[in-house]
Amino acid sequence: MAGQSTSPTSPASQTSAVAVIYFAILGIATTAFGLADLMVTASGSEFAYGILEIPNDIFRGGWGGLVVFFAGLLYLSGARNMGDIHQFAKVAMGSILIWIIAGCDIFAMITESIPGGEEGPWFNTLTGFIEAYAPPYAPAVLLLPFSLVVIYYVRKRVSGETRGGTSS
Amino acid sequence: MKLGVEERWDLIDRISKETVTFGVYRHTLKDAIGELTIKPMTGIPVAIAILYGFWSVFGSFAGFFTDGFFVRLFDAYWLPWLQAVFPGEGGWLYAIMVDAGGIESGEFVLSSNCLESFGVLTSGLFVAIGVVLPAILIFYLMLAILEDIGYMPRLAVLIDTMLHKIGLHGYAIVPTILSLGCNVPGVTATRILETKKQRFIMMTLLAIFIPCGAQIGIMQDVVPDLMGWILLYLIIGYFIFGYILNKVIPGRAPEFLIDVPPYRRPMLSNIGKKVLGRVKGFFMVALPFVMLGCAIVGVFYQLGVIRFLGDLLAPIFVGWFGVPAETAGPLVAAFLRKDLAVAQLSVIEMTKYQMITAVVLVSIYFPCVATFVMMLKEGLKELIGALAVLAVTVFLYGGLIHLIGKLLGVA
Amino acid sequence: MKILLMGHPNVGKSVFFNRLTGANVTESNYPGTTVDYTKGWMKIEGEDVELTDVPGTFSLDPKDRAEEVAVAMLHESKDVKVISVIDASKIERGLYLALEIIEEGYPLVIALNMRDVAEDKNILIDAENLERILGIPVVSTVAISGEGIKELVSRLKDAKPVKVDDIIANAAKTTITADAAGAGGAT
Repeated sequence: MAGQSTSPTSPASQTSAVAVIYFAILGIATTAFGLADLMVTASGSEFAYGILEIPNDIFRGGWGGLVVFFAGLLYLSGARNMGDIHQFAKVAMGSILIWIIAGCDIFAMITESIPGGEEGPWFNTLTGFIEAYAPPYAPAVLLLPFSLVVIYYVRKRVSGETRGGTSS
Repeated sequence: MKLGVEERWDLIDRISKETVTFGVYRHTLKDAIGELTIKPMTGIPVAIAILYGFWSVFGSFAGFFTDGFFVRLFDAYWLPWLQAVFPGEGGWLYAIMVDAGGIESGEFVLSSNCLESFGVLTSGLFVAIGVVLPAILIFYLMLAILEDIGYMPRLAVLIDTMLHKIGLHGYAIVPTILSLGCNVPGVTATRILETKKQRFIMMTLLAIFIPCGAQIGIMQDVVPDLMGWILLYLIIGYFIFGYILNKVIPGRAPEFLIDVPPYRRPMLSNIGKKVLGRVKGFFMVALPFVMLGCAIVGVFYQLGVIRFLGDLLAPIFVGWFGVPAETAGPLVAAFLRKDLAVAQLSVIEMTKYQMITAVVLVSIYFPCVATFVMMLKEGLKELIGALAVLAVTVFLYGGLIHLIGKLLGVA
Repeated sequence: MKILLMGHPNVGKSVFFNRLTGANVTESNYPGTTVDYTKGWMKIEGEDVELTDVPGTFSLDPKDRAEEVAVAMLHESKDVKVISVIDASKIERGLYLALEIIEEGYPLVIALNMRDVAEDKNILIDAENLERILGIPVVSTVAISGEGIKELVSRLKDAKPVKVDDIIANAAKTTITADAAGAGGAT
């Protein structure tokens, strides 16, 4: 396979153990959150703890939970031997999935926070507007800041790639 | 002088030896992600995520404009104002343009919202601007982003095996998705399919099973909790009838070869131009049809045509499809305006399953007039064939849905 | 005079068309976006010229309706010049179509588009040498960002019909000199 042809000594493929451990832990957490989403949705119960609230409707909890679960699997499968570009791509893809789910959650918050509701004024009050953004949050939103770490590694890799490109 | 195929390749070979140098090909992250989105193991989860994103943003955006602002604007301001200033309350022009009203305990009463009034200037405008405009805008915006990034061919490759079962190939996903916005460009896009057979299957399936942006918009507004079921029935129907058509229609269904382009950063200007162009195109076609359809439906109601047809067909609707007799009117009117028909259905009292059946029936009905004209342009013979398939399909699939409901004990 | 934009699907013909005419043809990153032709006007040295965005086709031997439209466009037009748009990262396949058009005696300019993608893949093309062998203008472009468009337009006047025999001769000449040089080095 083409992936194995990537030379292990190129600067881009050196990955610290820290990164591997980080994404492995993130992968476990993400998978667990995804499973929690699915289980809460399947049982039809409600779950909220601290700043965490697990959605239990078939769309956000079921479909969205499935995607979070996939993201976790991608992290786990990619974290091993992350120096390889194909492995690293899985980690990046895991983060992209989280961004899709979290992005949709946040977009929904924004669109719900602005109108005043059926009986109220045209626009929401300032308090109501701000309240819409208060916790608890869905798992994907909580995972969002942790998933952003991948950008640092992408940048590092891209600068490595260009250096490697000019030297060859 | 002309060369043979062999000679030509030979010459090209010599030319490229002279002029092209291939460096060592190294995978960039973009390439690796590109591959991940094509391999089924990773590609299918990604496709599921992208579909989720598409739907979620669609719902939030359409809900924001329609439920957040337009419903109130039309119901609380526009409708009462028109009801008050439009002359001749109770007359036929008033009924067609503003409000057909209803009879409550023997007295004529005005409607309280734009879904029940059925007027050209009330329901017609509300559906076109309040419901369909936001839906179509966000749909085309997201479609443009996916197109320009280069995701569509990857989706085509992923779904290729499944679409081969119905005589098509992965590329059929392009006309299918385009049709979710409007069936007119969808029908045009069938030209990328190779054989007559494929084009016929695709066009027929589009006209029958793919609801357009206007319908999806109105469904999202009036029956949001049933959307999933309705779409599921449509998708299942798409595959069942595609499979049958593939078996029945003679002709070839060749393999397809597709170039998967690299991912690209979308250009904002191109997306803007494309979305505006498509939305404009849709409204040039759709707005006159919504208004006109609304007017014709109104006239037919006034003349008693719809009631007559409704009474005539009611035994089929009630007995075969299992929907209440009151739906006969809207189901007949659906021949002209599917989106309005969905709106009309939403105010009739019935069980959830009957509602699902009725809305699915509306969707798989006769294609809208604009699509009809477009199909005629592509060939009269094909159009007649498609209509024959359509008639059979509506009858069989409507019955099948009823049967499934009975087996599940919900109908 | 008319100008036709021809090439494989998804090489950026519509992007060229929009750049050259200021029109709004739908552009997308997937093959088969254009299934019907679109006409527009552009100015070359003060003269109005009709430009046509032709649906993508792999060869002059059509495989589907969109390709039929493309081939019919070429054969039905009189006094045309063709801009052959080639994906620089897949140059061989693009040259196949270009050669077919050359063989039918149409004057041609080659736009080696998506140079950036080819560079990403570490493919380098000697455009000058290609121009010498083919005997027609060859311009490297990145249509999406507008690179090379001006040069392409200015070279349109140099488009002329060429004989395939000349191309074969040119290709053979360089091959021989290269072989001779190689042989000379070895001895």
